[in-house]
Amino acid sequence: MYLELARRNLGRAKMRSALAVIGILIGVMAIASIGIFSESLKATVMENFQDLANELIVTPAYSQGYLSIDERTVSKLRKIPYAESIIPIKSYTELLDYRGKKVPVNIFGIDYVEELFEVEKGGIRRGEAVAGSKIAERLNLRIGGKIIIKGEEFRISGILKEEGARFDINPNNAILISIEDFGKLKDAEYSKVIVKVESLEYIEAFKKSVDRIINSREEKVSVFELKMIIERIEDVFGQMTIFLMAIAAVSLFVAGVSILNIMLMSTIERTKEIGVMRAIGAYRGTILRIFLTEALILGVAGSIIGGVLSLAGGYAIDMLVLGSAKYIFQASSVLYIVEGILFGIATALVSAAYPAWKASRLEPIEALRYE
Amino acid sequence: MIRLVDVTKVYRSGAYEVVALNGVSMNVETGEFVAIMGPSGSGKSTLLNLIGCLDKPTEGKVFINGVDTSQLSDKGLTELRRDTIGFIFQQYNLIPTLTALENVELPTIFKGASKLERRKRAEELLSIVGLEDEMHRKPSELSGGQQQRVAIARALANNPSILLCDEPTGNLDTKSGKAVMEIIRKLNEEEGVTVVLVTHDPSVAEFAERIYKIIDGVITDVS
Repeated sequence: MYLELARRNLGRAKMRSALAVIGILIGVMAIASIGIFSESLKATVMENFQDLANELIVTPAYSQGYLSIDERTVSKLRKIPYAESIIPIKSYTELLDYRGKKVPVNIFGIDYVEELFEVEKGGIRRGEAVAGSKIAERLNLRIGGKIIIKGEEFRISGILKEEGARFDINPNNAILISIEDFGKLKDAEYSKVIVKVESLEYIEAFKKSVDRIINSREEKVSVFELKMIIERIEDVFGQMTIFLMAIAAVSLFVAGVSILNIMLMSTIERTKEIGVMRAIGAYRGTILRIFLTEALILGVAGSIIGGVLSLAGGYAIDMLVLGSAKYIFQASSVLYIVEGILFGIATALVSAAYPAWKASRLEPIEALRYE
Repeated sequence: MIRLVDVTKVYRSGAYEVVALNGVSMNVETGEFVAIMGPSGSGKSTLLNLIGCLDKPTEGKVFINGVDTSQLSDKGLTELRRDTIGFIFQQYNLIPTLTALENVELPTIFKGASKLERRKRAEELLSIVGLEDEMHRKPSELSGGQQQRVAIARALANNPSILLCDEPTGNLDTKSGKAVMEIIRKLNEEEGVTVVLVTHDPSVAEFAERIYKIIDGVITDVS
């Protein structure tokens, strides 16, 4: 009955009620759409990193004066369980000669290239070289082309797919050859070792083993986990999302103020009615409830419509900014919609709290006399 | 039933003080029909509001069924109004969004009656005041006389023992006014409801057994 009473009271000023609903709707839509967009943005960025989460980078302990990792350390690393693969890498910069053009490039000595990178054209062959996408483009390298490094001739057997931002090694501007071939060019120890553990939960165990087996007497290597970087990125995105949503929340705040205004007007207009209800036996609490129910109806209507529309809003922003809406229907989108709806309803109730309280505090006789 | 002891009511607005009632004492016994007459501004409505627990006296005490109302909390006063007192106002004061039936149901809803119970009671009361065919109309679709009859039905919803009427015929034509007064008289005579009625119309006051005359906040005559 109170619900019905509230519904009819709202129906008395249809335009006003509709505007309040629209206010809440816009606020909820802004919050939820931005939430959905932030989540899509994060997912798009994370796409590049997700498969790196189980990677550890072992580097020389530069702070202790170590500049490279020796063969013994690598073989010790190989003995630690939990590792799916151990990929030691040697690197240095050298002039590359291709059809008479000489340019400096990074030379990586690395076996098992396919475990880290994707080959776009051609393949990997023993004794031949693989080129990174940028250098291949810059020098117009072709499969089967011959390059000369420090007097050694290599045939290009494959070209890698362009890699996004990577924290381990970036092959885009590099020529990759096997460790054995690298030895012909330069006598160097390893510059880093990339370790892939079987599962994320082994990361800690692996690090402890490194400390026990390799760093027991002095720190020879540092272990750097990509998981930490990913977590850091997630943190940053979390903060960005909160910031964006706070901006969107301003619109919800404005909607709240408009509900406050509407409800205050409504209590003034209905002062006499409130007096009548008090005279015929309504408690203060009953009056409070009637007004809060009205706000609840406004809040629920606006929030639910806004929640549904935020999918469209999220889609629009995603298409506009990311050019793709493939991450719209994630579980997190639903979470943001629910969050937006709850915020919307809460805003309506909080805004109505003061007018409702004021209405309930009216003295019956004062209210009845009001004209 | 109703007892006022030395009741004074002073209104303050800014620097002004208006003495609406000045040391009024009166008794109304159960089942009595009492009229309070006086010119406008004499304090008669104030007196009725004090009896109806809508207002509190500045000095003196109001007893309803032996209960000192000054000792009651807001909740206690609300329950007293809801269960013991029925109000009829000059302006009818129906809730415009509710139908006649729903208006009559309202006090029973406040009391927490079941849906079936309150529906039955409201229908019964509306047929007593002769509005069984207008139950589902909104107040704006009813004539003044019909609205006042809905208001009477509403006042009776929780079976009160006291009916307080503030110029109940003030806005009605003679014929409707008479019909309303007949209903009130019948309630008093047949149901034993105590009636206190405020009016400045002598023909309305005639229905009462006793008439208090009040001028400038003081009872000047009882007849």
